[in-house]
Amino acid sequence: MLAREDQDCLPRMESFWGDTIKRWREEGMTDDPNVALGNDFQGICWSEPFPFPGQDVVVAEDAETVTKRDAWGQINRYWKYREGTPEHVAFPCATKDDWETKLKPRLLSLGPSVDLAGAVHSLKIGRRQGRWCHLTGLETFEMTRHLLGDENTMIAMIEDPEYLVDVSRTMTDLVLNDFEHLVANGIEPDGVWIYGDMAYRSGLLCGPPLYRQLVWPDHQRMAQWAHDHGWPFVFHTDGDVNAVIEDYIRAGFDCLQPLEAKAGMDVRNLCPDYGDRLAFIGNCDVMIYATNDRDAIEEEIRAKFEAGKATRGYAYHSDHSVPPSVSWDTYCFVMDVVDKYGNYD
Amino acid sequence: MPLASNTAYACGYWSMELSELTDAIKTGNRNAANRLTQEAIEAFLEPRSILDALIAGMDDVGARFQRNEVFVPEMLIAARAMKESMAILEPLLAQAGIRPEYTAIIGTVKGDLHDIGKNLVAMMWRGANFNVIDLGTNISPERFVEAAREHHPQIIGLSALLTTTMPSMKATIEELRAAGIPNAKIIIGGAPITQQFADQIGADAFAPDAASAVEVARQLVGQSHA
Repeated sequence: MLAREDQDCLPRMESFWGDTIKRWREEGMTDDPNVALGNDFQGICWSEPFPFPGQDVVVAEDAETVTKRDAWGQINRYWKYREGTPEHVAFPCATKDDWETKLKPRLLSLGPSVDLAGAVHSLKIGRRQGRWCHLTGLETFEMTRHLLGDENTMIAMIEDPEYLVDVSRTMTDLVLNDFEHLVANGIEPDGVWIYGDMAYRSGLLCGPPLYRQLVWPDHQRMAQWAHDHGWPFVFHTDGDVNAVIEDYIRAGFDCLQPLEAKAGMDVRNLCPDYGDRLAFIGNCDVMIYATNDRDAIEEEIRAKFEAGKATRGYAYHSDHSVPPSVSWDTYCFVMDVVDKYGNYD
Repeated sequence: MPLASNTAYACGYWSMELSELTDAIKTGNRNAANRLTQEAIEAFLEPRSILDALIAGMDDVGARFQRNEVFVPEMLIAARAMKESMAILEPLLAQAGIRPEYTAIIGTVKGDLHDIGKNLVAMMWRGANFNVIDLGTNISPERFVEAAREHHPQIIGLSALLTTTMPSMKATIEELRAAGIPNAKIIIGGAPITQQFADQIGADAFAPDAASAVEVARQLVGQSHA
């Protein structure tokens, strides 16, 4: 699929909210839904170089929420009994001095953040299942925001780009060091898959010019590292990244996922424009799934598959995570429709 | 207006300085904005004129944001410059009896803790000289009603990041309507929100981003702005 060569059917995978799984279990689901779908991908590690590995300290609590200081040194407020994006209360790098005198030396003094034994085990499972096995980790803009917070990251991009570049380069080095550690210990994956949300519904958070100047070089470095080992590079980002797809191609990205439909990403436009140079995973709109309207769901999947199959560089995934407003019955229908339209003639 | 500043206006000197203040906001140059605000005050310019110059700067940033000419970082530094200049100007505005004409309350709905979008909208509304009451995150319908009764807003902003919390928007609007909050227009926004959803749940308007939220709020209160 990533090479856009002949295949018999579309590869597939899916992401779900925890509350969705909870609902579906109550509705009679007995298996892991990704197994039921026929998942073709296997992450074998997770590289996230925390400055404070293992830290998970409760700093406040009420009936519904708990506020914790985590392994990044962030203070976040979480729901106790359900899933959801947390409220960010504080970040470890309030100033450049925090970075230079505390966080950076600490990060550089720590060993690999990946679990070698876990990677060996996951690779074995993935190989047994015939899945595409990939090294997985975070990208630099995401990690920088974990350290500095959104506001300080974006202000630093304008007012102190050297600081931003130093954080970005350091964090990228740490992820690549993690991957090198696995490879040096005999791990042979099929590719590299990096996660980082760069954008929201109206475009890139930082805008294309600052992205190109400050973040792109580290994206290019990560893709180059993968290519140097002969592996393709898949990039996950939510939001509208239409404005920088040419930059992604220039950086060496081989595939984009999950193509958030409500942010204006659409394989019906992307495949004709970039399908000869880039593969795509996803884009089936969870908001349409959430209507539980079968006709609309079938048309959504059919139309997206038609566009994706035309390039032979497409795999099924929804455009985000399946929310709990989708019933198990509806998701069984989704899987049937994926089966119905997911074959090449 | 003191004679000195009348004369200055007549000469066009201070109007030039105020355009520099507007430019300082546009470019997010906080040091220049602070200095020019202070200088304008010391030259006895009318606080209203200074305020208008600041608002003009933020309006320009909002318009360029909507045209994808500037992005969140530029918006953030402009809003910070505006905030600091407003802190210098506010005592004079209070002395002159100049208060924001409109009040807006805003919060993320019950079940939603993520507040980046909500904070950007609050920042932009303040930049447009709305009196903004930020209720914070995870705000119940009852708390929105209570705040609306207390602050008598013209605008109520509801934010949701997640598809899972969209139903809370509907519940909040129903509660506000049932409570008969007079004159308050409800604007909704957030990653999964669409105009169609806004229509479905009876919101008065949908704003796709923080800059649009200013334009939409102004339209709803019938405020024309250059």
